[in-house]
Amino acid sequence: MPNFAEPMTRLIDELKKLPGVGSKSAQRLAFHILRSSEDDAEALAAAVRDVKAKLRLCSVCNNITDVDPCVYCSNPTRNHRLVCVVEEPTNIGAIEKTRHFNGAYHVLHGSISPLHGVGPEQLRLSNLFRRIDAGEVDEVILATNPTVEGEATAMYISQQIRRPAVKVTRIATGIPVGSDIEYADEVTMLKAMEGRREL
Amino acid sequence: MPLKESEAIVLRTYPLREADLLVTLFTRTEGKVRGVARSAKKSKKRFGGALEPLTYVRAYWDDRERQELARLDSCEVLESPLARQVTYPRAVALGHLAEVLDELLPDREANDAVFRLTLTVLEQLAGDRIWMPLTYFQLWMTRLVGFLPELSGCVACGAELNGSRAFYHALVDGLMCAEDKRLASSEMSRESRAVAGEMFRAPIENFAAVEWPKARAADLRKFLVQTLERHLEKKLVTAGMLERISC
Ligand SMILES: [Zn+2]
Ligand SMILES: [Zn+2]
Repeated sequence: MPNFAEPMTRLIDELKKLPGVGSKSAQRLAFHILRSSEDDAEALAAAVRDVKAKLRLCSVCNNITDVDPCVYCSNPTRNHRLVCVVEEPTNIGAIEKTRHFNGAYHVLHGSISPLHGVGPEQLRLSNLFRRIDAGEVDEVILATNPTVEGEATAMYISQQIRRPAVKVTRIATGIPVGSDIEYADEVTMLKAMEGRREL
Repeated sequence: MPLKESEAIVLRTYPLREADLLVTLFTRTEGKVRGVARSAKKSKKRFGGALEPLTYVRAYWDDRERQELARLDSCEVLESPLARQVTYPRAVALGHLAEVLDELLPDREANDAVFRLTLTVLEQLAGDRIWMPLTYFQLWMTRLVGFLPELSGCVACGAELNGSRAFYHALVDGLMCAEDKRLASSEMSRESRAVAGEMFRAPIENFAAVEWPKARAADLRKFLVQTLERHLEKKLVTAGMLERISC
């Protein structure tokens, strides 16, 4: 790397820590910031500071939020007895896009991952069970990914819930809308057959 | 250059750049091959669920000149671990297979015996019934890579151990008699040594009907894991997780 002034080197080093940013991109970004206006640079720095200072996890559902409880948990028009469990906060957006889910959420911040040494103990589950044990939940929808890790996580949670008063459901997996079943691989096809419904 | 083709077992994937995956495959014809699956993270069309760990696939790839990483073209699923219920114990067991294979197999060296072993063990790994297939896998794997010491005699004095007590220790390569055992050694029961003998003589299917709780041959598995870890000079992440499973 060429020799830059110390503040520049520091900025480049910090940017390089971001996912997908190599030396070249880090230099490009750093020069962009250097050339930008005082206000823009200040706004960027403030945004980075605020994201750490003001965001935290919702005490009810673990969603990332600036107010506690989060917007979903504090919304009185939502059905809080219906809880959808997702792996990551970003998954909430995907479900909200449907505009057909009016329940609440629970974010695990990960999934069981044996190869990374992540077992059920590391999942954020205690506040979900606090809600269930307080009799606040009628149905838990397990919306973890349809991968080995996501399936193992869903199976584990469903086995832990096992209470007569709580219904546990798993989101359906199968053929993507608009595709052709001819091109579905056999696991996808198998899952689609298993998840069929009566018309 | 035409694509290479082989049956393969997916061992691990790692995210690479924005949309790509780095995939480690255990191929039947060339052993462990590492390759890049372009856009596999973003578009699931090409690979679908085929890159889930321990999926048995038919893989197509090409080797790029002077490059260590192959370009993975496509994978057809032959058998997916997702076709059967993924309980937590089964997920950890699958992870263990992947970790052990990835750690022990050298790059680009076919090993048909290990390949066949893995397929038969995968077949037996269902639901929470993991301890028999795991014992069989660890035992044969240790032997096939040449790490299994002689189990019938004491490593220190050579005394015959059949019919007498035998001990093992994380730092010792083999079993020891009662005289030579080290401080803090563990005992390997006669039954477990008999299990090892039976497993060397029979296919895994012969044990499918046997009731196999976690405690059965647990000492043998511990000895095998210690043997592997001693040769690898590192701990196996999934071995610790298996320990903590309660059933
Ligand atoms: Zn919340
Ligand atoms: Zn001896």
